[in-house]
Amino acid sequence: MYTLLNVNKKFGDNVVLKNVSLDVNQGDVVAILGPSGSGKTTLLRCAGYLTKADSGTLIMDDQQYDMKKISSRALRNYRRKVGFVFQTFNLYGNKTALGNVTLGLRVSQKMPKEQAEAIGKELLERVGLADRMDYYPSKLSGGQQQRVAIARALATNPEVVLFDEPTSALDPELTGEVLTVIKQLADEGRTMIVVTHEMEFARKVATRVVFMEDGEIVEENTAKEFFENPQKERTKEFIYKSTTWASVNQKDEEAAEALPQGE
Amino acid sequence: MSERILTELAESFGKLFMVGLKVSIPLTLAAFSTGLMIAFLVALVQITKIPVLKQLMRIYVWIIRGTPMIVQLFVVYFGLPNIGIRFSSFVSAWIVMSLSVGAYCSETVRAAIQSVPIGQLEACYCDGLSFWQAMIHVIVPQALRTAFPPLSNSIIGLVKDTSLAYNVALVEILATAQRIASRTYDYFWLYLEAGLIYLIFCSVLTVVQRKTEAWLERRR
Repeated sequence: MYTLLNVNKKFGDNVVLKNVSLDVNQGDVVAILGPSGSGKTTLLRCAGYLTKADSGTLIMDDQQYDMKKISSRALRNYRRKVGFVFQTFNLYGNKTALGNVTLGLRVSQKMPKEQAEAIGKELLERVGLADRMDYYPSKLSGGQQQRVAIARALATNPEVVLFDEPTSALDPELTGEVLTVIKQLADEGRTMIVVTHEMEFARKVATRVVFMEDGEIVEENTAKEFFENPQKERTKEFIYKSTTWASVNQKDEEAAEALPQGE
Repeated sequence: MSERILTELAESFGKLFMVGLKVSIPLTLAAFSTGLMIAFLVALVQITKIPVLKQLMRIYVWIIRGTPMIVQLFVVYFGLPNIGIRFSSFVSAWIVMSLSVGAYCSETVRAAIQSVPIGQLEACYCDGLSFWQAMIHVIVPQALRTAFPPLSNSIIGLVKDTSLAYNVALVEILATAQRIASRTYDYFWLYLEAGLIYLIFCSVLTVVQRKTEAWLERRR
């Protein structure tokens, strides 16, 4: 129901996306993995019309959107159906948590205040922030800010939510609360595309995993198959390196201890 | 100080104060609000890098900052009538001071707008807002908060600059003091009193600035 078709993007001479296509089904949670500079964030930003692709097509609900050129009307219509969550939260500093969630409804959709606030309150409750509605972003922790940002992205009840490394800017102990909220959305059947470095999250929450490198999709599979039975060498190496450092390190130490001391 | 002078000063105080309220302050507010709008437009042109317009704005800032305000006043009030354009004293002062505020504050406003993280603008876009809606609801309110202290400086400077309009026949505080003094010859006391009036107005503005800053600080 949501398709990216032949997306290309260059920054100067640097080719960032090479004819990337991605097909997402209703209810899918697609995790995009890959090393830094693989183009995963650029792909997501192109899908959110935050970066203009050089070419590419978006298909959603039988409607086509040119990723290079779009009328402001079509874009407004598209944005109502797609939510975006940023790595750095990007909450509006002059609005309370509730104000952040309702701004789009009130300004872009001209929704009456009471109606917008009812939606905002319900969403903030769902992300566990019922008691923080009147707080300004500077008074919230990173995890709380990101949860407000997720509530904001859900305000229009979008069909697809795009997450750009939603936990990368967070202290390790705050990532859990954000991932829990995303998991909760996954359980509700929300269609999502999540660019992430959280392997455990991808393994447990994603239905499908896409592995990108050098602007191309290297491998794409169900989450289970991807982790248990990776096809490409590069994918195996990536999964191994990303998930086994601790255990490898531990094994090395154990091996060192087991070595006979001295000659 | 004789009793006569005291009585004279007491009487003139009310006159000077009222002239301040009726002429100098309205001139300040009018020039400042118009100037601020100009400053915003100039800043936005610089930020969005609109070709030709950007160069024009640079030239405007260059000329206004590089020439004395009193010369600009003379050009507008005494010079323009030569080519058939006539403005009253008040309007001439308003035009010149607005242009001055616009030029001087444009850089302050530009820096303040750019101090708001670009991600918030992107978030606005994702929320379906247009560039201008984002400016009005999110970017400018935060930029104003950053720009508030330097802008307060400008408005206080502007209160005092209104005395320059004395030179283009505007009957403001200084001109009123001058008129009274030319009758009584108490120049020393009346000019001191005129200074006091400016001091009072500027003090009020300083207090307002402090209160407003504290209020803004609570809302973030």
